[in-house]
Amino acid sequence: MILTVTPNPALDKFYWLEKLPETLLPTEEGLLIRAQKSLVSAGGKGINVSVFLAAHGLETVAMGFLAGHTGQIILRDLLARGVSANFVWIEGENRTNVALILRGREYHPIHIHDEGPTIPQDAVEMFLRKYERMLRYAEYVVLAGYLAPGLSPDFFRELAKQARARGVKVVVHTGGEVLVRTFPERPFLVKPDVREALSLGDLPLTTKEEILVAGRRVIQEGVEACLISHHLTGDILISAEGVWEFEARVPLSAFRNLVGADDALVGGILVGLVQGKDLIESVRYGMAAAVASAEVEEKFCLDQERILAEMARVEVRPSKP
Amino acid sequence: MKVREFLRRDLTSVDRDTPLVQVIRLLEQSGHASLPVVDEEGRVVGVISERDIIRALVPGYMDLLRSASFLPSLNQMARRLEEIAHLPAEQFMAKDVVTCKPEDTDLYVADLMLRRGLKQIPVVDAQGRLIGVVRRIDLLSHL
Repeated sequence: MILTVTPNPALDKFYWLEKLPETLLPTEEGLLIRAQKSLVSAGGKGINVSVFLAAHGLETVAMGFLAGHTGQIILRDLLARGVSANFVWIEGENRTNVALILRGREYHPIHIHDEGPTIPQDAVEMFLRKYERMLRYAEYVVLAGYLAPGLSPDFFRELAKQARARGVKVVVHTGGEVLVRTFPERPFLVKPDVREALSLGDLPLTTKEEILVAGRRVIQEGVEACLISHHLTGDILISAEGVWEFEARVPLSAFRNLVGADDALVGGILVGLVQGKDLIESVRYGMAAAVASAEVEEKFCLDQERILAEMARVEVRPSKP
Repeated sequence: MKVREFLRRDLTSVDRDTPLVQVIRLLEQSGHASLPVVDEEGRVVGVISERDIIRALVPGYMDLLRSASFLPSLNQMARRLEEIAHLPAEQFMAKDVVTCKPEDTDLYVADLMLRRGLKQIPVVDAQGRLIGVVRRIDLLSHL
């Protein structure tokens, strides 16, 4: 079983627009933007990974904090997609994240993200008891996304520590200080989220050389493998065994919705690993899943035949030191 | 049809020592009318419902009278709630819990619900661990 933790779940709303006004500054009449199409789905990085895994027939349990009417919609969507849900309910309302996707510029969406409800201490304690119980049956745990207000920046570190003590492999898919703090617990794989800042702690991640320096530092700290996005269609895998560059030969114009592609990548890696593939082949499958997902308007491409077909477009080569 | 095909994989539950006040809050926030109570291994050891809690708040004779018209006000219930708010769920839960397995049939579960007057039945694995629930509406919507 693969356990995913999403501390700050969201209801993702996508709006496809033919055009945007030249300025978003308010006029006297205000602004009215009409969408040609919209989609709604349960979101948050860990939840996205669980949805991807469940579609591949893998047993997965999603954990985190749900609140209010939005929480009910998130739960309903998850259950309908075959994900087991073990959430702690709290006061308030889960966040709603909006993505505006402009026709012709789908690879450059505009995001509006809520902050999410504050997690009270008694809910954290309840969560930790549930988590400890679920860890007993987990092979992997995915700690993903940003922390909700009220959670300690050491939240993921504590969860990683507990998982390590039980021999459960940890994948961390988040950014900033929260990610860096998990390194002493020696996660199996870290995938820095670089949407807000092209950095890993105090190390920049702009060029390939910078990525290699940062990745090697992470490995020195005890992390088994680190996968860092180089650009939209390229990732670099760094481990103690070496460095590999992955490149998907896909034109940006093929993309329809990039939201969730990164999570399909993590989900795809886990599918590969559970199926017995080695890490490099698993990352190839993950990249194929990410590309296939970016090419459809729904958040994920869950068609395994199509993902396998995309693998032919994902090149991998060892990187020279 | 087997239960595994239509069960609701919702693992929302409380522990045996969860205080009653927290159970009430959880019932309200999650929208459930009852919740499975699980032990340290995740095994279902009881079910606690709104009905169980109300029964703990009103005098015993109310059950016999089947009416609240003899209560002068709800103040008595509020005072009683204050007294028991921090007592553990296991003191109020129904212990003769009815469960079903993923391989049980829809007909078997429907029969259980009708005979026992249940709105929801926890689904457990071979070790008795909670893996979901079946509600009456889940059965109805799959007819």
